[in-house]
Amino acid sequence: MHPAFSVLVFTVMSGAGYGLITLMVIAHMSGLAQLQDSSTLLSGGILAFLLISGGLLSSTLHLANPKNAWRSFSRFRTSWLSREAVFAVLFYPFLLLYLFGIYSQGTELNGFFQLMGTVAAILAMVTLFCTSMIYASLKTIRQWNSALTPMNYLALGLMSGSLLLAAVQGIVAGDLNGTLQNAALGLVVLGSVTKLIYLFWIGKPQGSTIQTATGFTQASVRLLDQGHTSNSFLNDEFGYTVEANKLLRLRGGMLLLAFVLPFILLMLNSAALTLIAALLAIGGLLVERWLFFAEARHVVRLYHGDQRT
Amino acid sequence: MKLGLVVDLDTCVGCHGCATACKQWNTSGTIGPLSDKDPYGRDPNGAWLNRIRTYEVDDSPNSKTVNMPMSCMHCDNAACVTVCPTGASYKREEDGIVLVDQDKCMGCNLCSWACPYGARELDPQQGTMKKCTLCVDRIYDEKLPEDERKPACVMTCPTKSRVFGDFDDPDSEVSQLVRERAGKQLMPELGYNPVNTYLPPRNKPVVETYDVSSVKNTVKKWVNKVIAR
Amino acid sequence: MTSQANIPVNSGLPVFEDRDKQETRYTTCYMCACRCGIKVTVEDNKVRFIQGNPNHPINKGVLCAKGNSGIMKQYSPAKLSAPLLRKPGTERGAGEFEEISWERALDILEKRLANIRATDPKKLAYFTGRDQMQALTGMWASQFGTINWAAHGGFCSVNMAAGGLYTMGHAFWEFGDPDWDNTKYFMMWGVAEDHSSNPIKLGLKKLKERGAKFVAVNPVRTGYQAIADEWVSIRPGTDAVLALSMVHVLLQHQLIDEEFLIRYTNSAQLVVNTPGQKGDGLFYRGPEKEGQAGQPQVWDLVKEAFVDANLPDINPALFGEYTAPDGTPLRTAMNIMLDKYLDEQYAPENAAKECGVAAEDIERMALEMAHVAFKESITLDVEWTDWAGRKQDKFIGRPVSMHAMRGISAHSNGFQTCRAIHLLQVLLGTIDCPGGHLAKPPFPKHVPPGIKPAKEMAPNTPLKSPPLGFPTCPEDLAIDADGNPLRIDKAYSWDAPISCHGLMHMVISNAVKGDPYEIDTLMLFMANMAWNSSMNTAQTMDMLCAKKESGEYKIPFIVCSDAFNSEMVAYSDLVLPDTTYLERYDTISMLDRPISEPHAACDSVRIPVVKPDRDVMSWQEVMVEMAGRLGFPAFTKPEGGRKYEGYKDFIVNFEKEPGIGFLAGYRGKDGEKSLRGEPNPRQWEAYEENEGFFEMHLQPNQRYMRHANLDYLTLAKEAAWVGSTNQIVIELYSEKLQTFRLAGQGLYDGPMPTEEHHKERLVKYFDPLPTYYMPLEEQRIDREEYPFHAVNQRPMFMYHSWDSQNAWLRQIMSQNYLFMNRIAAEKLGIDDLSWVWVESHNGKIRVQIKYMEGTNEQTVWTWNAIAKRGGAWGLSDDANEATDGFLMNHLISELLPQKGDKIDRVTNSDPVTGQAAWYDLRVKITPAAPGETGAWPEFGPLKPQPNAKPSPQSLSYATHENVNLKRPMSDILTRGEQ
Ligand SMILES: Nc1nc2c(c(=O)[nH]1)N[C@H]1C(S)=C(S)[C@@H](COP(=O)(O)OP(=O)(O)OC[C@H]3O[C@@H](n4cnc5c(=O)[nH]c(N)nc54)[C@H](O)[C@@H]3O)O[C@H]1N2
Ligand SMILES: Nc1nc2c(c(=O)[nH]1)N[C@H]1C(S)=C(S)[C@@H](COP(=O)(O)OP(=O)(O)OC[C@H]3O[C@@H](n4cnc5c(=O)[nH]c(N)nc54)[C@H](O)[C@@H]3O)O[C@H]1N2
Ligand code: SF4
Ligand code: SF4
Ligand code: SF4
Ligand code: SF4
Ligand code: SF4
Ligand SMILES: [Mo]
Repeated sequence: MHPAFSVLVFTVMSGAGYGLITLMVIAHMSGLAQLQDSSTLLSGGILAFLLISGGLLSSTLHLANPKNAWRSFSRFRTSWLSREAVFAVLFYPFLLLYLFGIYSQGTELNGFFQLMGTVAAILAMVTLFCTSMIYASLKTIRQWNSALTPMNYLALGLMSGSLLLAAVQGIVAGDLNGTLQNAALGLVVLGSVTKLIYLFWIGKPQGSTIQTATGFTQASVRLLDQGHTSNSFLNDEFGYTVEANKLLRLRGGMLLLAFVLPFILLMLNSAALTLIAALLAIGGLLVERWLFFAEARHVVRLYHGDQRT
Repeated sequence: MKLGLVVDLDTCVGCHGCATACKQWNTSGTIGPLSDKDPYGRDPNGAWLNRIRTYEVDDSPNSKTVNMPMSCMHCDNAACVTVCPTGASYKREEDGIVLVDQDKCMGCNLCSWACPYGARELDPQQGTMKKCTLCVDRIYDEKLPEDERKPACVMTCPTKSRVFGDFDDPDSEVSQLVRERAGKQLMPELGYNPVNTYLPPRNKPVVETYDVSSVKNTVKKWVNKVIAR
Repeated sequence: MTSQANIPVNSGLPVFEDRDKQETRYTTCYMCACRCGIKVTVEDNKVRFIQGNPNHPINKGVLCAKGNSGIMKQYSPAKLSAPLLRKPGTERGAGEFEEISWERALDILEKRLANIRATDPKKLAYFTGRDQMQALTGMWASQFGTINWAAHGGFCSVNMAAGGLYTMGHAFWEFGDPDWDNTKYFMMWGVAEDHSSNPIKLGLKKLKERGAKFVAVNPVRTGYQAIADEWVSIRPGTDAVLALSMVHVLLQHQLIDEEFLIRYTNSAQLVVNTPGQKGDGLFYRGPEKEGQAGQPQVWDLVKEAFVDANLPDINPALFGEYTAPDGTPLRTAMNIMLDKYLDEQYAPENAAKECGVAAEDIERMALEMAHVAFKESITLDVEWTDWAGRKQDKFIGRPVSMHAMRGISAHSNGFQTCRAIHLLQVLLGTIDCPGGHLAKPPFPKHVPPGIKPAKEMAPNTPLKSPPLGFPTCPEDLAIDADGNPLRIDKAYSWDAPISCHGLMHMVISNAVKGDPYEIDTLMLFMANMAWNSSMNTAQTMDMLCAKKESGEYKIPFIVCSDAFNSEMVAYSDLVLPDTTYLERYDTISMLDRPISEPHAACDSVRIPVVKPDRDVMSWQEVMVEMAGRLGFPAFTKPEGGRKYEGYKDFIVNFEKEPGIGFLAGYRGKDGEKSLRGEPNPRQWEAYEENEGFFEMHLQPNQRYMRHANLDYLTLAKEAAWVGSTNQIVIELYSEKLQTFRLAGQGLYDGPMPTEEHHKERLVKYFDPLPTYYMPLEEQRIDREEYPFHAVNQRPMFMYHSWDSQNAWLRQIMSQNYLFMNRIAAEKLGIDDLSWVWVESHNGKIRVQIKYMEGTNEQTVWTWNAIAKRGGAWGLSDDANEATDGFLMNHLISELLPQKGDKIDRVTNSDPVTGQAAWYDLRVKITPAAPGETGAWPEFGPLKPQPNAKPSPQSLSYATHENVNLKRPMSDILTRGEQ
């Protein structure tokens, strides 16, 4: 699949934002001491808001006809993209009310604002889940069409969110909280494990072949002519091909950036280094997302000559 | 009704007639125009609703060349419709035709991702999704003569390799063809249940050879027969 | 019942089209020369939709990819918009033009032509490309008085025309069709697309539906071959071996239609057998009667005497050797065939080595055909009258048919190969019978048609006969007393004696060399000679610009009529912009090759459907206008003054002979007469009312065996298709060819060549019986050094150079590859999609390889005419056609491979017919160095025409605001998962 930059930015940024807000609300509600501080909470909340909103705005950039973007709420009944849009928008009032509660009442929220926070956290995860289901529901792309996709999206959103949360807390408070640090470490490990499982899983040959695509199941089938000599929409959208070596190198870089380095930096116990860890992880996740697209092979490619997906 | 096409792989010569007829009709048709980018420059690239691909089955020197025209299959389980967030994509209840309402599409491409058959192409100028309409603006048009109330690609196909009709009607030409010629769906394993069906190449006809055992090497000389001119 | 019948008309849908604003007109497609009938819907002078006319005899409602893309031809940015004159002081090829008025353009042309006509008419060379108005341009040339006229046939497929017309009076190409409705076994030789584009496709469908067998003989498996039941991957240039080996098998098993041979062919005729003596190989003739030459003789088995061969009710001996009363040894033509084809050379085992088809397959196919012809014959119980007036009660059909085209014709042995295929058909008795190969009116004609090429010219005087005709003996050649060619293309010279379509591919080369003489003006209509239509393109471009020492161009003046900014435009001095096919009046005339079907005489017209928006004039009008201005007799009233107002008037009122004009339909004062009749002033309107064509079905008794069918021949004579109702005798043995061979042997009473190589050619290639010889290029190169055959195919969706300007069609293909068998390529270490050098004896090119399974291992091939010069055709300078596409033409020489002998000057053509030998090409292939990519040679881009609007960066064509079918909001909100 052709990795559209706006979609990479969108999923990584909003994923981090949703992860951040979710973890923050949980930590706040569960009374984690270092988070009972309105400037920390407001910083985290505003950061999440910016990440999510930036991501959403960026996602509209890939629309070819954005004037109809508002219509994307219409098909909640069947479309994960529609659901994502609905939940993403629904999320805002709860988030804003929650933040308003902190702003006006400080960290001790009354029941209403607590509810707002809880709902915002739930909607954040639901939205992230919807985003992942947009991909996971596509039977046409076997690398996506799996429960591993939502697992990845959720784990990585939470992971990047946790790094950000720890960094925000550390920077605002001046020193890093051990619980948040441990949570982040745990989530980095979880993220890396889900990613490794995913990478292992997509490496297994399976799914449709040029034979099932053409219906000639008894013999070798080769493409002679795709019907047009320069590119078409389909080639541009689905024909994206990266050299195998480059993919390997990028996978290595991605694992290093998104998981290994943040893990090491986190261990060093410094607020500043945690911020760097968070930024590196986000960078790494951009590569991860790029790979998520670049390594996904749509079945249409079979019609353009690929032997299997 | 379940309207769709049967495509005969036994006779399609890959002429692209159906593809250009489609482009021609539909550029001024209901989902038109079908735009083209760099039409006279490098790498021209436009929106088409029907493309012809050619495959070679088996290895040299026993290969067989197969031309495979592909347009929207108007799938029973059209995920392109379910994924569409705007409701622009829909499958008509009355006849199963899958359409894109051009006024509502936001150009997110998701439906094209959901389509296994490459049947959807984004218009490079309008930013909306284009796809085969099964020529809905022909097949119901009472102002057209009855035998022209069929898709442009079907009318034009010089080898009559495309047949249009109602798959729900067991007596329709399409249903009969599917039965008689063991019509196949492409990539059935994905479960889209495409309506368009492909007729596989027929078996070679068997022709007897002249039995020469009786004459071979027995008659050595030609003998004149009396044949009046 | 149509599948529509059960589908209700849904009036709930919006009105998509405003029919009141639309008009429908019928005309004839000209996206190629197949000439399908089209129904064009026009809205505000813009084309909404072009569809096939379901009533049309050719295409019956279907259209090909080109026909469906007519809109983009009509709106091509490459359309020429005004007459152009090369700017004084600029060079040819630079493309610097000024726009001039038509008045001025026509004055310039008139002056130039009037001067040539009054002094030395042959200084005008007038050649036309893939046009369909040879009846008009040929007549124009003969009225002008120059013999230097020809159309594209010489570089196209004259081998097929001549092969058929010198054998049976009709042919493949546009002269005949398989009986699609009845044939049970169809063999297609070397055809990718051909001019019967849609009819072949419709026909193949019929065959497949019926379960008839379709065998394709072709080194490449695409297109038609893709759907063949059997693919015979032949080595190019060896089809005659395959055909004659099948003949061998049939003869070996005595599986021939003796009745057919005796009744309808000359195979029982007696041939003089006196090798080395005058008269050898000619027919033994009876005594002269009443000044008439003696008739060929046969041996009558009942009378036991020699009798005139063409009498009815005789009983000729098909086999045997006889002695004439004067002691001359004789044998039947059939006997010579037995000797020749039963020879071991043609035994399947030996043939297999040459043509690459397995011996078992050769034998099996021959026996399959024999089975179908003789054991599955069909009978039509229709009473008919034979040539001698005898009633026959049925037509016997031998349902084996064949079609062959450029895979056969574009080789220098194509004439004889084509005859070999006809021989196979004739032995099986499959000519013009149900299920066999059928002629299309006005064919068949007598063998060959009775027109002789013109030789004499005089100032201001029309020729006495048309420039092109059908020589039957050396006396008919267009040579002077010393044996030198009279024509600029050297047609009808010893180089190519039976070149009945001229040699378009030699004109520029010969004119530049002044060999045989210099000319003044080269006038080209619809021929892209500066690019894809010339052999040796790069050098042809140089030749077009070659100057004498005086600084004058060697071809002083070049006029071209084109509708588009083709490569040729840049190399012209005066450019006359033509209309498009949707803008003009035109005829597809019975005097030419009309649109007839086997069982119907048909012709058709073009009628404008849109108004031109430019300053253009159809070439038809230009021709009639010039003829008037120059005062050609046929265009001038007896009392002086112009006879015809314009083209439409000319078509209606011109009569070639009483009652015979360009259009055969709706003649007579009230339009009630067909084929022959006085001019009908409302003839155009009648055609318009009849959807642009005329169709006259033959009666059931006139439909078969037309070479010997009195009812048909009577009609044909009335229609002036044939000169007499005499039987058209199929000439398996060609005495006409033998006269040339005798001239080569020095045994002829008449013109004989003096040059050794001419003598050799005549002896070797003018075999009176179909024969195989290795193609000439192959004979003169090192076959090991150039191991691959290189051929072209027509893509079904492109017509030569025309269609790269078509925004839709060029999306299908804007780059061509060199296709190569995967296994052969792997052996040479050539990678898929890598760039390679391809080298012939004449030059080299760099191209991109594409692997293929279905290609003969000794063959490489590409699609024809995809490459373009940047800037031409409205394309950008970096268009894929210009940077990555390639022409094979650079590798093909118009002369035979150079060896420093006299043959160096001889055309790379069939030695009999002068047919350009495009597919004789042999090449070697080597990988290009790393980094060497892109097509080579490159030529700089051409200039756009003056005042040309830049081609658009994007297109969104529609004739009206598109009416969207809306999905109701309620449906969007309420519809659940299915
Ligand atoms: N779409 C389209 N239609 C056209 C044209 C066009 O440009 N485009 N051009 C028109 C013109 S001018 C012409 S002359 C006709 C020509 O029509 P075709 O006869 O179809 O001409 P080619 O495309 O040259 O096809 C030649 C075929 O012969 C095969 N071949 C080559 N060498 C040999 C050989 O030695 N033996 C055998 N058995 N096969 C061989 C090639 O693989 C190819 O398939 O088409 C006409 N119709
Ligand atoms: N390598 C290779 N070369 C080949 C062949 C091959 O197989 N291989 N095939 C050969 C054969 S068979 C043929 S017939 C020739 C074809 O030779 P041509 O007939 O020369 O080929 P076209 O490319 O069709 O070019 C005709 C010209 O007519 C112009 N034209 C188009 N429409 C109109 C019109 O309405 N009016 C006027 N006045 N002009 C018009 C076009 O713009 C173009 O410049 O090519 C030959 N060249
Ligand atoms: S072919 Fe593709 S676009 Fe058409 S209905 Fe099926 S999934 Fe949808
Ligand atoms: S591109 Fe248009 S039709 Fe397709 S899913 Fe998006 S909004 Fe729906
Ligand atoms: S049915 Fe109509 S829209 Fe669909 S492929 Fe055919 S011509 Fe195109
Ligand atoms: S028009 Fe018919 S023969 Fe031509 S590509 Fe389409 S389906 Fe095949
Ligand atoms: S074959 Fe195609 S291009 Fe040629 S006349 Fe017919 S429709 Fe037109
Ligand atoms: Mo041709």
